[in-house]
Amino acid sequence: MHFGGIYEDEIVGKAYDRRLLARFLRYLRPYRWLVVWSILLLPFIAAAKLAQPWLLKIAIDSHITAGRMEGLPLLSLGYFALILADGLLTYLEIYLLQYLGQRVMFDLRVELFAHIQRLSASFFDRTPTGGLVTRVTSDVEALGEMFTAGIISIVGDILVLVGIIGIMLWMNLKLSLVTFTVLPVLLYIVFAFRTRMRTAFREVRARLSNLNSFLAESIGGMTVVQLFNRQQTERREFTRLNAAYRDANLPVITWDAALFAAVEALSSVAVGLIIWYGGGEIISGTLTFGALVAFIQYIEKFFSPIRDLSAKYSIMQGAMAALERIFGLLDKEKIPPSPPAPLPPGEGGRRPGEEIQPPIQTIEFRDVWFAYNGEDYVLKGLNLTIRRGEKIALVGETGGGKTTVTRLLSRLYEVERGEITIDGTDIRSIPLGELRSRIGVVLQEPFLFTGTVGYNISLGDDAAQGRMEAAAALVGADRFIRNLAGGFEEEVRERGSNFSVGERQLISFARAVAFDPEILVLDEATASVDSASERLIQEGLRGLLSGRTSLVVAHRLSTVRDADRIVVIHKGEKAEEGSHDELIARQGLYYRLYQLQFRD
Amino acid sequence: MRSFRRTYLWGSILLVGANGFALLIPWLLKRAVESLQFPGRAGHSAGYFGLLIVGAAIAHGVVRVFSRTTLLHVGRRIEYRIREDLYSALLSLDLPYFSGERTGDILSRFSNDLTNVRMLVGFGFLNVINTVIVYISALLLMGRIDPFLTFCSVLPYPLMLILVKQVSRRIFVHSKRAQEELAAMTSHAEESIAASVVVKTYRREESRIGIFRELAEKYLFSSMKMTNLRGIVIPFMASMSGLGTLIVLFVGGNRVISGVMTLGDFVAFTGYLAMLVWPTVVLGWILNLLQRGAASMARLNAVLDAKAMVAESPSPVAPESVRGELELRGLSFGYNGEPLLKDISLRIKAGMNLGIVGPVGSGKTTLVRLIARLYPVADGMIFLDGTDINRLPLKGLRDVIGFVPQESFLFSRTIRENIAYGKEGATDEEVKEASRLSRLDGDVEGFPAGYETLVGERGVTLSGGQKQRTAIARALLKDPAILILDDPLSAVDARTEEEILAGLARYYGGRTALIVSHRLSALRGCDRIIVMDEGRIAEQGTHDELIALGGRYAAIHREQNLRAEIDRY
Ligand SMILES: Nc1ncnc2c1ncn2[C@@H]1O[C@H](COP(=O)(O)OP(=O)(O)OP(=O)(O)O)[C@@H](O)[C@H]1O
Ligand SMILES: Nc1ncnc2c1ncn2[C@@H]1O[C@H](COP(=O)(O)OP(=O)(O)OP(=O)(O)O)[C@@H](O)[C@H]1O
Ligand SMILES: [Mg+2]
Ligand SMILES: [Mg+2]
Repeated sequence: MHFGGIYEDEIVGKAYDRRLLARFLRYLRPYRWLVVWSILLLPFIAAAKLAQPWLLKIAIDSHITAGRMEGLPLLSLGYFALILADGLLTYLEIYLLQYLGQRVMFDLRVELFAHIQRLSASFFDRTPTGGLVTRVTSDVEALGEMFTAGIISIVGDILVLVGIIGIMLWMNLKLSLVTFTVLPVLLYIVFAFRTRMRTAFREVRARLSNLNSFLAESIGGMTVVQLFNRQQTERREFTRLNAAYRDANLPVITWDAALFAAVEALSSVAVGLIIWYGGGEIISGTLTFGALVAFIQYIEKFFSPIRDLSAKYSIMQGAMAALERIFGLLDKEKIPPSPPAPLPPGEGGRRPGEEIQPPIQTIEFRDVWFAYNGEDYVLKGLNLTIRRGEKIALVGETGGGKTTVTRLLSRLYEVERGEITIDGTDIRSIPLGELRSRIGVVLQEPFLFTGTVGYNISLGDDAAQGRMEAAAALVGADRFIRNLAGGFEEEVRERGSNFSVGERQLISFARAVAFDPEILVLDEATASVDSASERLIQEGLRGLLSGRTSLVVAHRLSTVRDADRIVVIHKGEKAEEGSHDELIARQGLYYRLYQLQFRD
Repeated sequence: MRSFRRTYLWGSILLVGANGFALLIPWLLKRAVESLQFPGRAGHSAGYFGLLIVGAAIAHGVVRVFSRTTLLHVGRRIEYRIREDLYSALLSLDLPYFSGERTGDILSRFSNDLTNVRMLVGFGFLNVINTVIVYISALLLMGRIDPFLTFCSVLPYPLMLILVKQVSRRIFVHSKRAQEELAAMTSHAEESIAASVVVKTYRREESRIGIFRELAEKYLFSSMKMTNLRGIVIPFMASMSGLGTLIVLFVGGNRVISGVMTLGDFVAFTGYLAMLVWPTVVLGWILNLLQRGAASMARLNAVLDAKAMVAESPSPVAPESVRGELELRGLSFGYNGEPLLKDISLRIKAGMNLGIVGPVGSGKTTLVRLIARLYPVADGMIFLDGTDINRLPLKGLRDVIGFVPQESFLFSRTIRENIAYGKEGATDEEVKEASRLSRLDGDVEGFPAGYETLVGERGVTLSGGQKQRTAIARALLKDPAILILDDPLSAVDARTEEEILAGLARYYGGRTALIVSHRLSALRGCDRIIVMDEGRIAEQGTHDELIALGGRYAAIHREQNLRAEIDRY
């Protein structure tokens, strides 16, 4: 079986290498001195490497062949010094490059993470967590390999190559030209492989992302898998994804091996050519014997940067594929762009970006239409006015759109048609942080972070930290927190797995209270709490809510009866509105719900 | 692993072949040089040798492709196999394990640590073989030319071994730390992304980013420590082989001058020696891989070797058919030592519906979890049809239990796939029937894609109540003898609750059902109700008995109906 499309990450499109690289180079800018230094080192390393066969040539030509021993110790000493210098400089170079690489990866990683944190909520409806985690970790690591392999030493390799070509040409023009006849073949191979390799790498990265998405979900749902004895089903799907990842990798290896072997073979072909050609030259006396030997050594040196370059080639292609994905994600906009509705002057309209003055007097939903997908409207022309200090309740059938209303208010999603205004200002023109800081939400599904109970209430906010204990007491969470061995310092495991669901809800309720918001939104905030605790919360809240505006979503009508107004949401529309007594008197939807719940 | 042995062998043979051709080249070169130096003595012209070299080079290239792909592909295959094994290990691990681990940490092991291991078994192995072959053959050939010079040229190598020993241990330690830090960073990322709505609503973006930055920085520094070690090893190795060349130049030069050695031999010798440079440098690199691979393998072994606390009985007894009678005898249980459930004894007859109420944290979920053996219980505490559940096969036990967990976890698949999860090979009709029972049908029919609607991760694109009803449908479809519903109606409205309860009443039939709820309305129709408090059964009886008792249950009842009575018209 093959599940839906959700584990299928896109394989990002075409390569624009130059633009990609140019953009990447910007990340090097803060470390330009590191770059400069590592480039400056290169000629020295190159010189140390180049001089080694040169000394060897002198040793053979003017000492060993000539039978002169004096001077050889000095030459050897020189050779030794070169080796030491080579080693030392290479070390420095590796260090600088790696430091540079780690820094750039760090910057990219933090930027990527920050960007993901700011992406709109709808993005997360479609994108699996595991895939995003892969971008932040594995994709960035793949980029890092580029530095480990020494992206900048490419410059060095090219320099060495140019140097060697120069020396070879200078030593013997004809021999050099003979050697270089293998180059066109090499170039052809490199270009022929480029697109294939890139395509293969793109697939590799996408498959890894799919695998991780599946895995992340699987870990979260393992209890369900086991309770339903569906290990085989999951294993089958995992195997499919795992095999797809493995198979995506195989062509990459083949291309890489082919390139590697081609370079190796060509280097020997070049040697063969030189012998074949140079042999004639020696016989005809136009070439010294030492020169030929040195030349053969140079061919070795000539091919060693080419070998390096070709080894880096596939890593580069891999890194580019990762870069495409990283930039692709960075280019996903943060907030859906919706130009703030231009406000006609004289209607008390404010300029966009202006702060709203506390306290908020009225919140208005005006003919709000909203769909998560296309035309499939979840809210259909909702009108709602919430005045300062009011408690407004949203009730209605499950799936009716109550949670959606609260999400639109905190602008997790954007209204499609109509508008939501606060004191006459369209919420789209209020800075997001400003808006959200006024609203405290107890989400329908509590989420606890790994950390401590205290951290989960204050979320690291100093002001909230100060109100932490009071908030816990107000919602009655203090009773069980006090019983914990560590109190507020008690460890919370991932997603609060070591707490009961009700306890998690109480903690998340305390969190909202600790942030002391002007407007409190409670989405089924006591659904998993027993009635005694619920009553305690109600009593505690009474004081807190006086003077505060609140929007309460509840299925248990006992929690909403004392609301100033109760709004019944039915299939995305407002079906009824009024106080408890009014709605009961109307004998409509609310009345029926109420009857059901309290019949004995 | 055994099945890969043959591939490794084959790859090694190819590699020997490739290196054979590679070694042939300097020998041909030597012959060529000799033919130039003493024309006439060697039977062939230099051109002839040149052509031979070209031929050998091409053969070398071809064999090289095959040797590399063989050995590197096997690396990928082993990676695949280990990943399969890891996943199998996860599938067999239990809730106690997962509640102590972080998702991001496991993810990191599956990708980052596995990468390190794969590098070792693929590239590492390839290069080890390569290096060994090259070393042995080069040394042999060099030895044939001049044993003394060969001895001199390998003099620096013991120095290398000393360094290797020094550095290995430290690479291992630092690598392990770096991997742990990478895992911590991954976990933080995973959690922050999963909690993006919370982060947004509470404007914690900056704070989460700050923590991420700290973790990434820690990882950066331990990576730099690793780099530093690697940075020392590689140039050191290169210098050592350079030193060898130096010795050869000096000693060998002397020998050529004194006529002990021909110039051709000398050139060939330096040629062989040059062949050693690259593998020696690679050796340094392998050392690094080896230690990193070992450090990562240790982290993988932690998963592979993890033991589930809920273990299969050594002598399981599979019952013929299950009636569904449950009995708890003095059940005590604690998550971490101190008892949470204390001495619970209870008999639930087959076909009985048991309601469970009690304050937050009183142990209701814990109790029902134990019946499905999600956590380990001591022997002699829970019995199904008179058999200790610890003696039942795990699969068999879970086959007869339909479980609706308190938190509805859905897979990011279609609604149909999620409901059909309850039963392998469920038909569309069964899926529809189950969703009718759980009153999900109306909602699903309203979706443009109907049952084929994808629900997003953990079901994010469904409303709270829709998720819960999907989870109910999934359990009902399973058609179990025992149904466990842990607060199954907390997210649905009164009308839907009413309809579901009516449907369930028809569905129960002879099934045993355990229903946990905070709302007494959901327990209507239960034959017996227990009230839990602080891990004990505080009260039990039928609804009427409990009302008559006038204790906790009556208090809850009063609480939930108080205002209703006042308002009653
Ligand atoms: N992120 C989403 N993407 C797509 N559709 C969604 C999303 N969230 C909710 N929906 C759909 O929108 C409709 C309204 O959902 P909403 O969560 O607002 O309902 P609700 O009134 O809060 O229900 P409940 O009482 O069950 O929590 C439902 O049909 C749901 O499937
Ligand atoms: N995995 C765990 N590790 C440690 N302690 C746990 C774990 N799971 C639950 N607990 C603790 O055990 C106690 C009972 O939890 P349980 O989930 O059984 O309560 P509950 O009665 O179901 O409560 P609720 O009504 O909130 O669902 C709680 O105090 C909780 O903190
Ligand atoms: Mg909702
Ligand atoms: Mg519970």
